[in-house]
Amino acid sequence: MSEAVAATPDRIKRLIVESLNLEGMRPDMIEDEAPLFGEGLGLDSVDALELVVALEKEFGIKIKSQEIGREVFSSVSTLSQFIEGRT
Amino acid sequence: MDSELFLQPGRGTRVVAVSGVGAVCGLGWGTAPLWEGLRAGRPAIGPFERFDHRSHRTHLAAEVGDPPPELARAVPGWRRLSIADRFALFAAREAVEQAGLSVPLGEEDAGVFFGSSTGGMFESERFFEEFLRERKGRLSALASQQVNGPGDAVARHLGVTGPVETVSSACASGALALGRALEAVRTGEVEVAVAGGSDSLCELTYAGFNALRSVDEVPCRPFRAGRAGMSFGEGAAVLVLEPLERLLARGGEPLAVLAGAGASCDAHHMTAPDPSGKGAAAALAAALADAGLTPEGIDFVNVHGTGTPLNDAAEWRALQQVFGERSAEIPLVATKALVGHLLGCSGSLEAVATILCLRHGELHPAPCGGEAADPELPVTLVTREPLAMPEARAAVSTSLAFGGSNAALVFSRWTDRTA
Repeated sequence: MSEAVAATPDRIKRLIVESLNLEGMRPDMIEDEAPLFGEGLGLDSVDALELVVALEKEFGIKIKSQEIGREVFSSVSTLSQFIEGRT
Repeated sequence: MDSELFLQPGRGTRVVAVSGVGAVCGLGWGTAPLWEGLRAGRPAIGPFERFDHRSHRTHLAAEVGDPPPELARAVPGWRRLSIADRFALFAAREAVEQAGLSVPLGEEDAGVFFGSSTGGMFESERFFEEFLRERKGRLSALASQQVNGPGDAVARHLGVTGPVETVSSACASGALALGRALEAVRTGEVEVAVAGGSDSLCELTYAGFNALRSVDEVPCRPFRAGRAGMSFGEGAAVLVLEPLERLLARGGEPLAVLAGAGASCDAHHMTAPDPSGKGAAAALAAALADAGLTPEGIDFVNVHGTGTPLNDAAEWRALQQVFGERSAEIPLVATKALVGHLLGCSGSLEAVATILCLRHGELHPAPCGGEAADPELPVTLVTREPLAMPEARAAVSTSLAFGGSNAALVFSRWTDRTA
């Protein structure tokens, strides 16, 4: 595996915008604590699939279950903490 | 005896009115720009940018411009929708608004009957282009790739909870869907049918028709001497159908009556029509019989008229079989000369064009670049100016598809006398 990339909130926001092709959205428009799905950023289940793939590739992480996924994908902040806590 | 149960006639027959129409095509978003462009005889066929077509033989299409920005805001899940879905939603919203029905339609006993040839094919092509080049792709491009995407999107958006069906039978799809909707309203299966078709430009059909050498290098010239193929178009068209009685009872105004539908198959060839025109004539005859009309009751024909040498010749033979001596005189309207061939949507867009002609008492022209008539096909095509026909009572629209699938729809003008 390539050397781990730091999963800073800024890096994750950039990844979200790039990998989900969010028209009219800039990384700095996403708040660290705002919910990613439903209210907040308004992502849907198709976005979740694509985001999982993008995060796996970028940071080499695996989301092992739906329960963990639900928790980890709450916000940019929870994602960042989860990825930084890996190894 | 139990057998008597099986001898019951089916559900009753009701007169079916058109209470709303909506359309988007190369002439613009809405039936207003559609009629304005049709009446002016202004072809929307020209250079287009949807995809790179440099490697193909021909370089023309009637491409639809950007959607009205307020549409994207009004439709939840907009970014998941294919271009064909978006066309369908626009046309359905316009038609339902004109019909004066409120959304959601869940309380209305409504159904959606839709036609499409390629659905989200364009988006699938973009996915595979990226995937084959970079071994990666956005799954979301495939979210609405099915051929039933446009009809399903319409049902979801309008909250339709009755039957939702998509017909995909190449270029007859849009007309067949309307035939199915007519049946559903007539029999009482639904009280409101939102019916039509949608297709967007895509590389599959663009390459396919070009490979068949069925595409003209200039805008198509139906029934003209130099015709050399079809032109591509895209868009959607939707009709709202209701029982006439119900519509009148709620104070609505019928735009026309969908009086009959007929269908047939050539059983002849994968792409070419039966040159005898027998199959197309059978669909026309079936539609007239369904409407309870003789050929004399039809005042004009909205032809399939693709502009391919074979299609127009076969269609002429069919018209001869149905209209006999009148076949050279009955006015023909060739909508594809202006908006191109909308494939799975063409039957529904031409249904809207036919209704608009009946409503305005004018047949729109198809100038075909001033091209001379084909002496082999001595038809009366409306070419230069709109033809005033304020007394026109009824018209038939034909759709003749790959696979030999033929469909015809009869529309009659609604007047108080009709009721």
